[in-house]
Amino acid sequence: MSYEQYLAGDPLIITAALTGGVHGKETSQNLPETPEEIGEAAAAVEEAGAAVVHIHARRPNGERSFSTERFQTIDDEIRARTDNIIIQHSTGGTGAPDELRHQPLRTDPPPEMASLDMGPLNRYDHLTSENTRGLVDSLHEEMVERGVKPEMELFNDGHLNELYGLLERREMGDPVYATLIFGGGTLTRPRPRNLLNAVDNLPDGALFNTLGFGRHQLPLTTMGLLLGGHVRVGREDNVYYRDGELATNEQLVARTARIAEELGRPVATPAEARAVLTL
Amino acid sequence: MACPHLSYRSSANDTEFDHERAYCAVAQQFVQPMRADICNDRYNLAHDEHCELYRES
Repeated sequence: MSYEQYLAGDPLIITAALTGGVHGKETSQNLPETPEEIGEAAAAVEEAGAAVVHIHARRPNGERSFSTERFQTIDDEIRARTDNIIIQHSTGGTGAPDELRHQPLRTDPPPEMASLDMGPLNRYDHLTSENTRGLVDSLHEEMVERGVKPEMELFNDGHLNELYGLLERREMGDPVYATLIFGGGTLTRPRPRNLLNAVDNLPDGALFNTLGFGRHQLPLTTMGLLLGGHVRVGREDNVYYRDGELATNEQLVARTARIAEELGRPVATPAEARAVLTL
Repeated sequence: MACPHLSYRSSANDTEFDHERAYCAVAQQFVQPMRADICNDRYNLAHDEHCELYRES
């Protein structure tokens, strides 16, 4: 993907990351945690322009869940409240045993997409989410078996190497869809030239999705859409609409849709997104 | 065994929830869900190994 895709006015796929697996309602009460809240949020972001919802599951008290049953309940709520949105499950899970990381792939039907974390990243001061190559391969194997499109999450430039390695090890359906992630800690340092560099180093033919944490969400996703890529926004990655003002998921999606339209990128419907991603 | 500094509360610091949530006595605040898994020694996590608040308390 490149600036040529921007000039051509290729449709922009907006993914809304509604909940996440790190913070919860202790951050703000309007973070969707229950299946009903996530279903309502999915309907709101679909109305605002999102084609994809990225889903994490929570227990009734807001703590993390990896169970197939909990994802199933959430999916049922989403499908009951939305028209056609694409459901993308997270397979992330710092500290969770590998077997639990497979559970989100086993709903009926399976999610159309699922995340695939491409390598290690640090959490807090004494914890690392390992995401070994063995786990990446086994998750990818099950995604292939179940017809799930992987969304490769590249948390830093080293994970670009991991993506090339995965492409050498395994057969990958076209197009490869890679999310470039920018933020603190182990992530790629959130600076514009680093986004340019990451895009330049993607495999030929790969589509990319830009994800910036916190205050970097707005500038880097805007830059990403100008470079012909797609974008992810939402409360998982960014709590604020602007300095000191808490956001809702639909506000973040609506702002992105408005900017895209102003800049000449029409916002993709879920059906258009399915065509782009060959779902 | 869960962290000795963990408790479950539905209110603290002028914040109220419908369900009881994990509260850390060291930080004196509700904790993130991911951190709550460390507090509870859930999955492959252990508070005495992975929590800097416990290790420094």
